[in-house]
Amino acid sequence: MTVVKSAVPRQTPLKRFALHTTSTCASQASVYGKCIVANYTDVQKDMCKEEFAQFKRCLRNAMKRKW
Amino acid sequence: MSLARVAHFNTRRLTQCRGFAAVSSSNPPPRAGTVGPYQVFDRNVKRMQKDRAATRDGGVRSTTVDYVRDEVADRMIERFLDIKRTFSSVLDLGSGPGHFSKLLELNKTRKAVMIDSSEKTLNRDPDSEFEVEVERIHGDEENLLQIVEANSQEAIVSCLSLHWVNDLPGILVQIKEALKPDGLFLGAMFGGDTLFELRTSLQLAEVEREGGISPHVSPMTDTRDISNLLGRAGFTLLTVDIDEVKVAYPGMWELLEDLSDMGEANAVIGRRNFIHKDTLAAASAIYKEMHGNEDGSIPATFQVIYMIGWKPAPNQPKPLDRGTGKVNLKEIL
Repeated sequence: MTVVKSAVPRQTPLKRFALHTTSTCASQASVYGKCIVANYTDVQKDMCKEEFAQFKRCLRNAMKRKW
Repeated sequence: MSLARVAHFNTRRLTQCRGFAAVSSSNPPPRAGTVGPYQVFDRNVKRMQKDRAATRDGGVRSTTVDYVRDEVADRMIERFLDIKRTFSSVLDLGSGPGHFSKLLELNKTRKAVMIDSSEKTLNRDPDSEFEVEVERIHGDEENLLQIVEANSQEAIVSCLSLHWVNDLPGILVQIKEALKPDGLFLGAMFGGDTLFELRTSLQLAEVEREGGISPHVSPMTDTRDISNLLGRAGFTLLTVDIDEVKVAYPGMWELLEDLSDMGEANAVIGRRNFIHKDTLAAASAIYKEMHGNEDGSIPATFQVIYMIGWKPAPNQPKPLDRGTGKVNLKEIL
């Protein structure tokens, strides 16, 4: 993992974002995913708002910026 | 500036009186007064996507993502070799860089004619990689009969390009017309459940985050429809079967990147050109939880419909009439 990081110092923001969603914030992502899967036949808007907020907070911290 | 534009749009809307028609900015202008096939895909965008994909990083990225097409071409050539006939020339419709044509051998055919709407993709690989003689024609697959004459081809093949054709019944009729009597059509196209994991993940994420869905994965043809369409186009002795290619990816992002390198990015008319980062992050999380493999990777399903049809000819074998069978199958089986 560290080899990849040092070999590719200039990653696009989206690549970094992708990395954070799958590795840095994997546990929060998993919580959010489980919340959706638990009720996927009847998904409503903001059904998992709290779980996503946690996920997003982690992503923002990792990316060190807001979007 | 922006005010003036709003005013301009308002006057236009008033004069046109088309309050309910939803035409997005990526649409080609509606053709007034003509009746044409329903347009699902933006062919122009698709051509640009393919051109871009074939030239990205000097073509390296494009060749690394050949795995799906090469696999399907490999399975298609098996079907082709099962046909005990030699052809003087084979037309490869929507050939791409020639995944199928590269596998053709001289004892089956002398020449391959490749047609593709993306010039860069068509010319990606040099002639030296082909065993047979190749001719490359840059032209729109949707207008086959403008490129070749009717009743001129012995065999037409198509490897994974028909899923971007707007008028599928029409192209099948054109293929039949372009064939000589007793000519062969062998095709493979994505259908049915292709990328259903990606489709459902994006839909769930969009509903939960934004409260609605928009097209991200193309609508696909069902297997049953293909047999009907082939029959309707006038082919006989039909063979249709389905097969799946499953690929494991580290995550949704790698899948999206590879699809784009294949030139298979979204080209549905009326798509939104923008996905919110929240939605993408949500979709990635859902994909992993809902479909993910145990080892942490995610699967992507490519369902492929293989079809074989023949142009009718008087000397062709025909099914016997109903009730003429003399042998009871029960005794044999």
